[in-house]
Amino acid sequence: MSLRKFTQSVDGTIPIQALMYNDEELISTQDGVGIYDGLQKSPDHPSGTVHVTNQRLFYIDATKRASRSFFLELSRVSRTDYYAGLFTSSSKVTLHLSTENSAPEEPSQSGFKSWECEVCAYRNPPGLSPSASRICGLCGVPRSLPVTISSSNVPSEVPQSTLASASTSALSQRSRKPSAIACPACTFLNHPSMQTCEICSTTLPKAVGVSTHIEAKSAPATRPTTPGPDDDDSESKMLKLSFRRGGDKPFYTALKRSLKGQAWGVAHPNNGNEGVRSGICECMFSSLTLHSNRFLLKAGIMQVVETNAQHRDTNMSNALQDLEALMVKAKDMVRLAAELNERLTASSTTTANNPYSSSLSVLSSTSTEPEEATFIRSSLSQLGLQMENTPVTLDMMKDEREWMEQLARELANVLQGSEKGTPSIGGMMKERGIIALDEVWGGWNRARGVALIPPSTFLQVIPHLAVFTTPTITSRTLNSGLAVLHTPPYSRAAFAARICGLLALAGPKSTTEIAQEEGMTIGLTTEMLNIVEEDGDVCRDDGQSVIQENKGDILVLGEVDWWANLFSGYTWDGQE
Amino acid sequence: MALSTHTTTTDFLLPSIHSAPPFFTQQLHPASLSIATEQWIQLILKYARHRRLFTIKVEDSEAPGNNWDEVLRNERINRKVLPSYLTYILAQMVSKKLAVYEPPKQDRSVLIYWRLPEEWAEVLHDWVSSTGNLNTIMTFYEITDPPIASPLSGLPIPLLRQAIAILSRSNRAQIIAIAEGEGVRFFPSTGKA
Repeated sequence: MSLRKFTQSVDGTIPIQALMYNDEELISTQDGVGIYDGLQKSPDHPSGTVHVTNQRLFYIDATKRASRSFFLELSRVSRTDYYAGLFTSSSKVTLHLSTENSAPEEPSQSGFKSWECEVCAYRNPPGLSPSASRICGLCGVPRSLPVTISSSNVPSEVPQSTLASASTSALSQRSRKPSAIACPACTFLNHPSMQTCEICSTTLPKAVGVSTHIEAKSAPATRPTTPGPDDDDSESKMLKLSFRRGGDKPFYTALKRSLKGQAWGVAHPNNGNEGVRSGICECMFSSLTLHSNRFLLKAGIMQVVETNAQHRDTNMSNALQDLEALMVKAKDMVRLAAELNERLTASSTTTANNPYSSSLSVLSSTSTEPEEATFIRSSLSQLGLQMENTPVTLDMMKDEREWMEQLARELANVLQGSEKGTPSIGGMMKERGIIALDEVWGGWNRARGVALIPPSTFLQVIPHLAVFTTPTITSRTLNSGLAVLHTPPYSRAAFAARICGLLALAGPKSTTEIAQEEGMTIGLTTEMLNIVEEDGDVCRDDGQSVIQENKGDILVLGEVDWWANLFSGYTWDGQE
Repeated sequence: MALSTHTTTTDFLLPSIHSAPPFFTQQLHPASLSIATEQWIQLILKYARHRRLFTIKVEDSEAPGNNWDEVLRNERINRKVLPSYLTYILAQMVSKKLAVYEPPKQDRSVLIYWRLPEEWAEVLHDWVSSTGNLNTIMTFYEITDPPIASPLSGLPIPLLRQAIAILSRSNRAQIIAIAEGEGVRFFPSTGKA
């Protein structure tokens, strides 16, 4: 009957996702569905789950999944009817089937085999639906039948394969298992969908697989033992789905949609006509016709590859030419720079007796300056830059001594402000009488900006500083090793005298108060006071000696108060 | 700030420097430190004699409520001597032989020699002669805790031993073992030679 004629058995224990082709999608699922074979209830399919995909309709039996399940290709459905149901009669969907539409000669199994396109040699992956696997996934050329491949494309293999099939025929016949192809080289039993051996990559004898398949086709396992009367009336060409547990409406709409979509026909070539090509194929080989032989097609691909390579070649050579042109230009630039240099040197001789640059007179009074210095100076003045802010560099100087002196002069300007310049700028020591050496070094180099002074040079410059500064700035190293630059009021004796006077006048003071008074940092003040204490001019009152930390005014624990020295000259005035 | 002397509740006249906060701090400058320490030693000796105190401990500076509060603390200026400074002062006293560590081999407690052991020996012999106890055997207890208060009342036993030892060197005393422990017999001085 129609059920046996149009459906193919499937193992329902496998999940539906695994049963589907790669390009197949599940659209709807409904359980509690019975099957009518024609007008009669099919006794073997009372209840099960029906899945509709965009290509097929699966019936998975609820009780005997392995033996009673089947699928139906939707391409065979010509028409559908819907019956809403009445009282105890459940709603039904009738599928009218037709034989004429498609009767695929190819076995459905071919979809599960990987195959190689004889045109572009692309190895098509297995698992595609029969319609999709009929054309190459890459170039869209329809696939010729497997038999013709083995005979025409690789004729050299023919004797080998027949030989192999002959040698393994006994084995294959004994095992009677189409799922194993013995490798002619290593005898490994490969899966029938393999074309080469999984172990040694030897080409497997396809003949064996084909022959077993043909056998299977001639007597398939699903073929019933007793075929029913094969009448060709309309009844036998229909199948009914009885929805015993509802869900019929959404399922029917899904089925209609699936049938309308005709996914099986999208990439399906017309029967007997190989002219249908994919879009990519058309644009790539628009000048070629597929009806000409496939060797021409092959040549077309090669041509495209060659054109691409040629394009790349041209691009590369263009880029190289640009690079060369750039190098030529660079030579020009260098020449231009040299010319500019010469012109500036020439103009500097005129600026030497030009009265407007007063700052120049300090250094350019001697006409024996090195050429580089002249160049730098002149170019800077040409550009309108003030010479006052220009850092002194070694190449401007004649010898080491002058270099040091010029540096000292520059440093003096940084510290005390320029004598000649605008007084508003001020130096680092304008407000402060004492300053740490590291701060000076950092400040000086920031002021220079270029040609920074290393610490060693800086230390060499310091002794020269006294000559160029008013008041005299000298350096001093405190107990902790901290070096400072200071003006005369911050020398050892002067500072001690000042502190003693302060303490005598205003009473004891804490370090913080003295630091505030002197405008120094607390750390520096502590250092300075320690030196004063060393001289015995002051004595300390450690805050740790207090009985109560918060008696009266707030006392900071650990803070040292400084007193004028009470002890020197003290005589006992207590009880005798 | 004018510093002034102060009379304590025990009728002791504190020196003016005791009102100066730096006096309570261990000075870093060596000269200042030696002067301050000198004043401290003098203060401790004089106060000990005033109160007849024989020992001073570092603990006395750590917490109030002992005999030395008036000296080691000055509530009026909110200052106290730190234990570290007192330890230094005691060490200086021991090195100047004005005190001795008692018990020995530690540095937190001293026996103060506000009279030197030689002076104590004379005081002891004078007292024995004046009370007519020469040539009689006396226990240590009879000397340090007599019924009538004497200059020797409360004298620590170690100091007493030292005084007796000095006397016995000039044959004016002799240690005798008796039933209750130790006794001492004094002899009249023989021309002080």
